[in-house]
Amino acid sequence: MNPILQLRGISKYFPGVKALEQVDFDLRAGEVHALCGENGAGKSTLMNILTGNLQPDAGQMLLDGSAVAISGPAEASRLGIAIVYQQLSVINTLSVAENIFANRQPRSKLGFIRYGELYAQTQALLDKLRLTNIRPQSLVGELSPGQRQMVEIAKALAQDPRILILDEPTASITQQESDTLFALIRQLKADGKAIIYISHRLKELFTIADRVTVLKDGRYQTTRPIADVTSNDLIRLMVGRDVEFARTPASGTGEPLLEVKNLTGSRFERISFTLHRGEILGLAGLVGAGRTEVARAIFGIDPLIEGRVMVHNKPCIIRHPADAVAAGIGYVPEERKTQGIFLNMSVMENVLAADLPAAQTGRWYGIGKARQIAERFREQLRMATPSVMQRAGLLSGGNQQKAVLARWLLANPDVLIVDEPTHGIDVGAKSEIHTLLSGLAAQGKGILLISSELPELLALADRILVIRQGTLAGELAGDTATEEAIMALAAHA
Amino acid sequence: MKLIRSRLFIGAFIAALAGCELPPRDQAGVTQQALQTSDDSDAALANEEYVMVTTAVSMPMYVNHDQAAFKRWGEKMGVKTSILGPADWDVPAQINTIEEVIGTRPTGLLINGTDPAIAQAIDKAVAAGIPTVVYDSDIPSSRRHAFLGTNWYEIGRMQGEEMARLIGGKGKVAYMGILGLNNMEDGFRGLLDVFKRYPNIEVVGKFDDKANVETAARLTADLLAAHPDMAGICGFDSNSGPGIALAVKEAGKAGTVKITTVDWEPEHLRLVKEGVIQMLAGQKRELFTWYGAQFLYDMVHRTNKLSGNDALAGINSVPNTVNTGLLRITKENVNQFLLP
Amino acid sequence: MLNQILRDRVYTLTLTTLLLCIVSAAVFPATFPTFENFRQLLLNLSIDAIVAVGMMLLLISGVFDLSVGSVVAFAGGLSAHLMVFYNVPVPVAILAGLGSAVLIGWINGYLIAYQGINPLIQTLAMMGIVRGGALMVAGAGIQNLPYWYNAIGQSKLLGVQMPVWYMGLVVAAFTFLVNRTVFFRRYYYIGGNEQAAELSGIRVRRMKLYAFILSATLAGVAGMLLTSRLGAALSTLGRGMELRVITAVILGGASLTGGVGKIPGALLGALFMGLVSNIMVIARVSGYWQEIILGLILIIAVWIDLALQRRSAVRQGLPRKSVNTPSPEGVGIEK
Repeated sequence: MNPILQLRGISKYFPGVKALEQVDFDLRAGEVHALCGENGAGKSTLMNILTGNLQPDAGQMLLDGSAVAISGPAEASRLGIAIVYQQLSVINTLSVAENIFANRQPRSKLGFIRYGELYAQTQALLDKLRLTNIRPQSLVGELSPGQRQMVEIAKALAQDPRILILDEPTASITQQESDTLFALIRQLKADGKAIIYISHRLKELFTIADRVTVLKDGRYQTTRPIADVTSNDLIRLMVGRDVEFARTPASGTGEPLLEVKNLTGSRFERISFTLHRGEILGLAGLVGAGRTEVARAIFGIDPLIEGRVMVHNKPCIIRHPADAVAAGIGYVPEERKTQGIFLNMSVMENVLAADLPAAQTGRWYGIGKARQIAERFREQLRMATPSVMQRAGLLSGGNQQKAVLARWLLANPDVLIVDEPTHGIDVGAKSEIHTLLSGLAAQGKGILLISSELPELLALADRILVIRQGTLAGELAGDTATEEAIMALAAHA
Repeated sequence: MKLIRSRLFIGAFIAALAGCELPPRDQAGVTQQALQTSDDSDAALANEEYVMVTTAVSMPMYVNHDQAAFKRWGEKMGVKTSILGPADWDVPAQINTIEEVIGTRPTGLLINGTDPAIAQAIDKAVAAGIPTVVYDSDIPSSRRHAFLGTNWYEIGRMQGEEMARLIGGKGKVAYMGILGLNNMEDGFRGLLDVFKRYPNIEVVGKFDDKANVETAARLTADLLAAHPDMAGICGFDSNSGPGIALAVKEAGKAGTVKITTVDWEPEHLRLVKEGVIQMLAGQKRELFTWYGAQFLYDMVHRTNKLSGNDALAGINSVPNTVNTGLLRITKENVNQFLLP
Repeated sequence: MLNQILRDRVYTLTLTTLLLCIVSAAVFPATFPTFENFRQLLLNLSIDAIVAVGMMLLLISGVFDLSVGSVVAFAGGLSAHLMVFYNVPVPVAILAGLGSAVLIGWINGYLIAYQGINPLIQTLAMMGIVRGGALMVAGAGIQNLPYWYNAIGQSKLLGVQMPVWYMGLVVAAFTFLVNRTVFFRRYYYIGGNEQAAELSGIRVRRMKLYAFILSATLAGVAGMLLTSRLGAALSTLGRGMELRVITAVILGGASLTGGVGKIPGALLGALFMGLVSNIMVIARVSGYWQEIILGLILIIAVWIDLALQRRSAVRQGLPRKSVNTPSPEGVGIEK
């Protein structure tokens, strides 16, 4: 079978950086071709070249055997290339139909939108994609993250592309929704579409991909049928070493640090648990089960309807994150970009955010001292940044997350709540963060770990609490729990 | 170390206090520079620069009357004229401009007396020896050399008398202008003093049209809706008349609701001719600046010597206060003002 | 490195200002580079600069206040009213004026930070309300203020009128405080990312309330200084000041999206605008040209900034459109 898209020796240079060096890639109709690599491996640059946002400095692109130059996103879409970005681009305040047909709504002769036709066309498209639980008239803001992802894909498919690029499509959706997504992808495959699939979740590549191409540091590594490789092979190709989520020994003690009793908020009720010194307590559950809401309530972001929080056996009234910080609790939020990192501020300022007085000499804040502190954490956490004065927005996701973690290492709370700490982060940084978290536990901190990645929970947690629809569904011991056991508790209605 | 530093600080503080200078208690203490003078040679004339400082420098009424006459005067006399000031109605900015102009030593200053607050700036100019004439509204608390203008109290009285005559001494009246301006408030006072003598005239209210046609029209429309028996409305700023007239016409009450207002721009004149506005109390603005500039010139050139040395005698050889009087424009004489 | 310097508005604006001074001194050697002119120039911008310091702080935290101009008129008018019509002693009248400014700031801050009213709407409404109040207390203008009150703004130190020194004091104090205290550093975090600041334990709402109070208080101080300098309170004082001050602050390096800006930038922005207006007067250019030129300068300044940002973004290998929202996968840094 002839490939519909071929890249030959594509190179792209930025001042001082070889973003892509002699990359080959080919894509056949009716296949799902996975693209793997750490952050910074060049995946984004390659996608930006395919969608016309960037022009290659060398190399050739062949579409159906003839050379093309893609001058911009409009040209890409004309050539039948559509992309679904990791960050959702749907507009929450508009309906599903208006999102899918953004700027291309069917219009009458006078230029007015014909809503009847718009909804009918949308319905037809959704039917074709078998997305029967989404109404064209619904506001996107009212849909679940998974449904929004489907709308995003439907939007890309509305122009009937031949090549569909999916960038981390499962990053913010649940297991069930992923299954729906995979069913959709298989159907598209059967229709003869070519799909480029980018994901950090190696496990799902084995479920969905036909072939896999690995990039490392901007260089092409290999392309192989997925059946010929193992997860460890891929990791080795991506990072050049074996990274395993080896189970860390439990360091929990019997001394309670954080106790919550009968915690009830708007999305959860009667949650009780105890977090001990030196313990990593996992909090599992499907997305939307209420895990993040529990954390936000403990940290004083959302109000509690009922329940008590005790820190060091003393009852605590926490009405604001500042109260929580004062009581010795830290929180690394799930949404790093919008809630965690200060994108336009320096790494140094990010590190100091939760404990500005640390940089005081006497009563005066000093930038020299702030810099020393930040440098210390840069070395300790091996943050890849030319300088601590660098804007955090220019760092990779993993290094941004390290900066957020450094903030709490500096503030040094006894209890640290981490919500999806390795979401969207490459494998290398992931294992560093895992080491960091277990190290903190060993030092006698209590860590409440919320994660949708079961291997992560299984590797790190001493105990795992499973939340289902806002209530505690059960507790498992970390060393004996299995993914199946967790899913059984999380998913059974 | 700390002790030395604090001593240094205290020392500096005392030194600073020594350099401190309080403002003069009264004007007598101000050191006065001799008034600038010049001779009549052509070379001297070409170097002379007369500066007008106003506010709202782009207001059409100012441009068409005050500034046009001032420029015309400059051309006739063969001297340079400059017009400065902020584009909007901004008294502090006008004061800033006056004070910055003083440093550039113009031959004479012609200042629009927008607000009593500019008195200090005028005094600074006088103290610097620059002949300074105020026009439009007087700044009596200042040491200006001369003033030319209209008595706004008289504008109010003239409108009041005319309105009382038009409505037969009874009925509801309202008036509007820019609230908080000194000359307007004088006008309002004149108007009310007249109405006090007519017990049957009911003053409905005083309104701020912010010198804006749309605002004046909206206020009038609301007034007419609230008081269908409104007898007359008086306006006090340039845009009051057109705004009031617009709303009265739209309500179909042209001629029924009597209007008197100020200024005689083409728009105003047309409305008088149409019979929507009954009377305009016009100012002779051209005369303010023409003769104001001429006063400056005469001071500089010592045209009229009243003593052996006027400066030493401490006297001023131009009129102290000039009232240019008012124009009364009605349907009878409006044709004379409408240019062919 | 050069890029870094070019992107710091405090440096570029200082450079531009110096250049402008040199050119003007060459063109108008007799009238521009004189002590009298600079003394006057600084006096004329001192009031705006004091208000600009408060505005800078607000813009750093990502909000702004349109009511400052009205507060200038009201606070000054209220003290004048009390002194002239009720014979209230000068210090008491000043405290009353400042107190009214604090109250207005508190109302703005409370409704914006705690009740969630949009700052544009809240301060726009407040601008009208307070202007009405100023009209009530100042009426057709209040003259003949007490001698000691006028002495505050009309005294001279080393030949320079006091408001200039007060401005210097306010700018120096706030420059130090914003650089060297934890309290004021927090405003950068709030402007940088409000949610992240909240989750880092910063009491965002309370801090915003303080910022509005502080900005209104500085406007109140400006009102006292302006009325005492003029020796009169007018209801029209400070008209259009809010936009002038916001322009100065943005010229000085602030951004409407928050998180950036330095206190000296507020002074520099005001200085630059004062300088342009001074040169216009000396060159005898009419008032409306000044507004056109300032408008153009503002656009050019912001545009140069964006162009520099774009250039450095391209260097970092980010696609163009994500300049303002860099993707979490910053390309090419991880090595």
